[in-house]
Amino acid sequence: MSVVPAGFVETKLVDPFEIYVGPIFDSGALGSRRFAFLADERHVNMRGIVHGGMLMTFADLTLGQAVWDMTNNAPSVTLNMQTQFLKAAKAGDLVEVLPQIVRRTRALIFARGDFTVQGEIVFTAASVWKLLGQD
Amino acid sequence: MGDLPDGLPEGAELASIGGFNLFVGPLYRLPDSHEGAVKRFAFVAAEKHMNAAGSVHGGMLMTFMDVAMSRTSRLVSGAPTCSTVSLTCDFVGPGRLGELIEARVAVTRQTRTMVFMSGELVVAGRTLMVGTGLWKIAEPA
Repeated sequence: MSVVPAGFVETKLVDPFEIYVGPIFDSGALGSRRFAFLADERHVNMRGIVHGGMLMTFADLTLGQAVWDMTNNAPSVTLNMQTQFLKAAKAGDLVEVLPQIVRRTRALIFARGDFTVQGEIVFTAASVWKLLGQD
Repeated sequence: MGDLPDGLPEGAELASIGGFNLFVGPLYRLPDSHEGAVKRFAFVAAEKHMNAAGSVHGGMLMTFMDVAMSRTSRLVSGAPTCSTVSLTCDFVGPGRLGELIEARVAVTRQTRTMVFMSGELVVAGRTLMVGTGLWKIAEPA
């Protein structure tokens, strides 16, 4: 039912909430994957603007995938996420991100992303992740 | 109303009308506390809200905080539209399937065009998330 954007493949998701709001797509090699979702009528508010909750969910999902990629899927949890909403995204927009791992310590990973629509930043997120079982 | 699930406190009313709010909901508004200074909201964690580890997904918790602060900014400003400028969330503890998760939001400062808020998500005295948010009043009175 969903259209896969050119150059992308559908991302395999396991969390019920992510499957519910998805699909999500990615392209590129493990460790430098770019992610995208196509905003549809489920994702928007009554004004037709993509809901902040969907953008934050997409951020948690994609930054988490990047953290997994670099840790060989080690169990981790989000400790903190800081978000800024720069511009409205609308139904029909393809929202893309290339997550960046800013720093990794033994127990923590700092990840961020600029989320774009047609090359223009609409939303940014910076997050801190805890690797479970690591001091 | 008539369709409220069991376990919701007295005075709860449906807060999801359409769009993403309804898609991830239903979300509810609860009566204010602290003489109106604290706006309260709730939802019951269902299967669709979970992650594979058996906790409520962080995206859902942030969505709920966003909805609670958005609604609070409209309530205190009287404006029909307010937009999220920034939201920072700390994930303090996990939420579980079936739990009634409550949001409590207080306004730190309100100017003609902006609303500064702080909020927490709690389950029966346990804190799941704390957050601070900055909202822009789209059409100040």
